Amino acid sequence: MKKNNVTKVLSLKALLASAMLMAACSNDGSSDSAQSADYDPDSKLEVNWTAMLHTPSPPSGDVLDKLEEHTNAEINFNWVPDASKEERITAALASGELSDIVSLTMMTNSSVRQSLKSGMFWDVGKYLDDYENLKQIPEEVRNAASIEGTLYGVPFQKPLARSGLVIRKDWLDNVGLKEPTNLDELYEVARAFTEEDPDGNGKNDTVGFGDRSDLKYSSFKLIASYHGAPNNWKVEEDGTFTPEFETEEYTNAMKYSRDLYKNGYLAQDFAVTAKTDQQQNFAQGKTGIYTGMIDILNLKNLSQGLQEGMKLVPVNKIAGPDGEYHVWSENTGVGGLLAFPKSEVESEAELKRLLQFVDDLIDKEAYLLMTGGVEGTHYEMDENGALKILDTDSWKNEVQPFSSSRPSEVTHELIDADPDKQLANELVVENDQFAVIDPTVPLDSATANERGTELEKIITDATIKYIMGDLDDAGFKDAVKKWRESGGDQIAKEYAEAYKAAK
Amino acid sequence: MRETNVAVDQVSTAVSKKEIKQMARRKNAASLVRNKYLYLMILPGLLYFLIFKYVPMAGVVIAFQDYQPFLGMAGSEWVGFKHFERLFTEPTFFMLLKNTLIFFALNLFIFFPIPIIVALMLNEVRLKAFKGTVQTIIYIPHFMSWVIIVSIFYVFLTVDGGIINELIARIGGEKIDFLTSPDWTRSLYIIQVIWKEMGWSTIIYLAAVTAVDPQLYEAAKIDGANRLRQIWHVTLPAIRPVIIILLILKIGQTLDLGFEHVYLLLNSLNREVAEIFDTYVYTAGLKNGQLSYSTAVGLFKGVVGLVLVIGANKLAKKFGEDGLY
Repeated sequence: MKKNNVTKVLSLKALLASAMLMAACSNDGSSDSAQSADYDPDSKLEVNWTAMLHTPSPPSGDVLDKLEEHTNAEINFNWVPDASKEERITAALASGELSDIVSLTMMTNSSVRQSLKSGMFWDVGKYLDDYENLKQIPEEVRNAASIEGTLYGVPFQKPLARSGLVIRKDWLDNVGLKEPTNLDELYEVARAFTEEDPDGNGKNDTVGFGDRSDLKYSSFKLIASYHGAPNNWKVEEDGTFTPEFETEEYTNAMKYSRDLYKNGYLAQDFAVTAKTDQQQNFAQGKTGIYTGMIDILNLKNLSQGLQEGMKLVPVNKIAGPDGEYHVWSENTGVGGLLAFPKSEVESEAELKRLLQFVDDLIDKEAYLLMTGGVEGTHYEMDENGALKILDTDSWKNEVQPFSSSRPSEVTHELIDADPDKQLANELVVENDQFAVIDPTVPLDSATANERGTELEKIITDATIKYIMGDLDDAGFKDAVKKWRESGGDQIAKEYAEAYKAAK
Repeated sequence: MRETNVAVDQVSTAVSKKEIKQMARRKNAASLVRNKYLYLMILPGLLYFLIFKYVPMAGVVIAFQDYQPFLGMAGSEWVGFKHFERLFTEPTFFMLLKNTLIFFALNLFIFFPIPIIVALMLNEVRLKAFKGTVQTIIYIPHFMSWVIIVSIFYVFLTVDGGIINELIARIGGEKIDFLTSPDWTRSLYIIQVIWKEMGWSTIIYLAAVTAVDPQLYEAAKIDGANRLRQIWHVTLPAIRPVIIILLILKIGQTLDLGFEHVYLLLNSLNREVAEIFDTYVYTAGLKNGQLSYSTAVGLFKGVVGLVLVIGANKLAKKFGEDGLY
């Protein structure tokens, strides 16, 4: 941690010989095991932390000071905008320019997996039980966060399945419909939102589903799990692995979305729409169904001054053809890892002090700071014990940036003073009961690590084309065949082997 | 120098070759001292090339390794041409090559002549103020980033609410998927390139045109040449060397079409016509962490570019032009 100067010198050298540096920089991580394992939990810590930023700008204000006070540490955040995490994190991993703590959120990214497996980071598995909060991390979360049985960092604990829909309640009332409870009703809502002028302005200017070019976080993946499709992979009874897109349920979901698109109930430009545009379209009253329940407050705030009288309702229980509820789970409740690179954290004692720091962050006091901010400034507890944000703008600027760096979102329960947000939170908890787990989260496949992202692209493209009517069943089968031949078969085989070995 | 050498040889063999060399070196050193300021002035440029262009070249060795950041260049395993084999046997290789070559052809045959024509036209403009205004206006897009240009096109061309499509719908036509239809991708690409770079590229031609000796025009006029004839027989031959040099440079960029622009144009529906080597390297390399593989693709691109530049230069010399070097 006193490596600041060293890092500076190294980065100067990087200008001279960036390529050579990679070797030099990554070599200095290995000679450190001999030092004493004792640490002083009361010592003042100086910590550099590479963290994700989901807001437009880094936090201002005094929340950081309070956090530092609570954890007895000096925290230097190195913010990485979430939109550019892929380039930034992979580049940082490749160059070895890391900080004491690195938030790794892309657990399926091949480059992240390769780095983890290469031993760049400390194995923290055996230390967790020494800490008050960390020892409460459930066994299944630890398993899901492990790679080949090794835990290379403290898992970010998230709700098991966060996905769900946000629907315009006022529009539902205008067209005389109730909240949908099954796929047919959902389709009917999308139709009515498009054709029956739900905003009553006499113009044909609304669409049901507003989506973006991402299948996972916009409606498609959710609709697929409503149809009963597996989450990425399905384990057959004989232990073989079938990819989701070869199941009948996935095909049904594609047909469902294709019908939505063909009739105009799904935004026609979804394949070229970015997330901010998708949210803007919703806030401006162009679309009426949004995927992503946790964004409900955000959407409300965005619409202020644009759509007066907008009422929203979160919906997550859409029964599939089998009458059951299903929602896909993102990484089995693991939001990534707080990893400690050996090149920066040189001794066991340093590692233990850092784990103490992470443990302190899970304390209720720190959790409240990172969730609501400073009591009296950013929030207050109302008579029902609900957390009420006092000034949304200052909360957005000073508190919200920290929220994605909370090591656990499930340890403490808070009541949100906004009833819609509170309902969405409750529905997320309810999702646990019908979450569909991705069986490959704790498994490893060399081929998936090497070319997983490329292969995924083949299927994503084909699915989008199918939805837009540019590809028929035969065309989709060809794409699947291409996927199989380019490495998909190999991945299935490797997962089956890893699954067998893990059992 | 040769005279002294001969003289020294004749006079005595006692003066060894070593001493002759030393003399020559002294003379060089003397010229170095004399022109020290000139050399000093060239130093930053040399350093720039050394530090930013030559030293990093050592990094290409990772194209022949299975590079692992943690192990470093010294510790990674050597794998020979494995990554090149993968590139050439990849099913997408020919798609990438085809798309790259088509984009290049568009650049060469459609974009390249346009600045020349614009420069010639501007040269004929009589009103100075008008010429200046037009120049300024057509230079502006060059200073905008691709993100802005592609976004402007996006706003105009979306199916839901894009101005162009709304106009088409209003006059009774059917809306067109400009952004996602593979048929439109190439047209969009070249239109955007023209819009952005047309004005800026005229600068060099305009400079060359102003250097033409006015007497030549007078002579042509006396011989009865009209305006068009003057352009054809005087202006164009005068700027021919400039055109050739720029053409050779352009050819060198064959496989280097601007990652940013194409990446922004790319989406799930037009990938088969828009994915080029640069964007492929980005997804396979940076996003997937395949550093060795993407280095191999980059090296391949570089070698092809070098071969084309040398070839084009040789060809230019054969036709009696000066060439690059």
